[in-house]
Amino acid sequence: MQINNSRVRLPGGFNMPPFGIHQYLALMIVAVALWAIGSVWLGLQGASQWVGSWQQQIALHVYVDTDRQIDLEGLEQELAIISGVGLVQKVSKDDTLEWMRKWLGDTGMDAKMLSATLPVTFVVTLNQQRGEFSLPDLRDTVGRFSASLNEDELQLVKVHDVLERVNTLVWFATVLLGIAMALIVSNTLRMILLARMDEVRLMRLLGAKEWFVRMPFILEGLALGAGAGGLAWLMLWPLVLGVQGWLATAHVDVQIWGMFFPLLLGGGLVGGLGSVVATAKLDTAGVEA
Amino acid sequence: MENKVFIELQQAMLRYRTGKVALSGVNLTIEKGQFVYLIGESGAGKSTLLRMIYGGIRPTSGQMLVQGVDMRQAKEKQIRLLRQRTGVVFQDHKLLFSRTVFENVALPLRVQGWKSDRLVARVGKVLDFVELKDRLWAYPEALSGGEQQRIAIARAMIATPPVILADEPTGNLDNETAFRVLNLLLALNKMGATVITATHDLQFLDSHPGRVLRLHEGSLAEDSHADK
Repeated sequence: MQINNSRVRLPGGFNMPPFGIHQYLALMIVAVALWAIGSVWLGLQGASQWVGSWQQQIALHVYVDTDRQIDLEGLEQELAIISGVGLVQKVSKDDTLEWMRKWLGDTGMDAKMLSATLPVTFVVTLNQQRGEFSLPDLRDTVGRFSASLNEDELQLVKVHDVLERVNTLVWFATVLLGIAMALIVSNTLRMILLARMDEVRLMRLLGAKEWFVRMPFILEGLALGAGAGGLAWLMLWPLVLGVQGWLATAHVDVQIWGMFFPLLLGGGLVGGLGSVVATAKLDTAGVEA
Repeated sequence: MENKVFIELQQAMLRYRTGKVALSGVNLTIEKGQFVYLIGESGAGKSTLLRMIYGGIRPTSGQMLVQGVDMRQAKEKQIRLLRQRTGVVFQDHKLLFSRTVFENVALPLRVQGWKSDRLVARVGKVLDFVELKDRLWAYPEALSGGEQQRIAIARAMIATPPVILADEPTGNLDNETAFRVLNLLLALNKMGATVITATHDLQFLDSHPGRVLRLHEGSLAEDSHADK
């Protein structure tokens, strides 16, 4: 049953099939679901930028005060044998000096004198695959040698780990919502199909091929899904603009334009999938005229 | 010599899954270019026979050849092609009310893959034949019952099929409109199409002569052609 129909004239004298309340409802539901997925992915993108995980390698800094008598070689060896640690590098005095010069810039201060007061630094690069005890072991080792660990970096590593898990969950949720959206589109098209069963029967009566009968519904599903994707993308703008202040504070620049094609294609995919499901059992839906 | 036999049934029988026998032991030959009336009481098997001719249902036993196609053995593709060579007019028109007259009439051509730019001219020509050219862009709901039936005839004839099947084409029409509809069918017959029409109205038999096949309880009870 079509309610509140609107007709669009196509070339060749044909009209678009009536776009009724079922299609509008499905469009809104799928758009909201895609918007939710898009929002979560944008959030994840922002969080990843915040923790700096664009870097392939995660590195922690271990500091040893120069006035302490510590077995630096022993510390380096102990750090290197910890499970999950890829590389341990002691930062040379020259590198420290160079860094200090850059940091001080044109202030006119004595970089050499200041760099001499800096602690001995080890850069500990972690592997992508780390064990559960890698970080506690690292902390124990550093503690045993009376050294210190950059706690901020450690927190970022933990956040990074959490984000990795969230990423997996978001993929799972995306697939799950994708299936749900496909079923919504499928259900809508099934209702449209039942409302237009006379058309299907007539086309078959006139000797139409199966693809000819199904194609309008599949195209409608694709258009519905892609339209919902476009709408979802538009609905992301108020969200991003609303939190722009926070994002700027956190030095995060989310790529909303980058979400356009994934949402459009994702919508089209679920729409196409839904329409294929809806028309799959068309054979038994009533062949005889 | 050209084979004139268009439809041939030998001991054709149709039993529905419910067990009801709709047609039994029908022997019949219809030649090309004939104008045939199928008459009989309600439930005699007229509509069933028409449906069997366009492949809507298949005989359960016996033999049935339509345009050279064995309807019992035919594959789906053969049935599809047969339907493209068959024009059907229904009592209830089966017009799509959400589509324009143009879209309704052009549908058989779209099914057959005609290009869009050729459709308007062809549809206009056929609507001219049924005297409804001015209704090209109207919707069927805006037309009278007689006009709707003429649109259905236009749709049936647009692909110039060699056979036109009409199921009670004058059933809901007044005498004048029914006369006009039969005129159209007879004109199509004179243009070479075989026309088979199931009807209750025999009052037009004098003005629109044709072969009369009377069905009774699923069997062929009378054939005016054979009587001659």
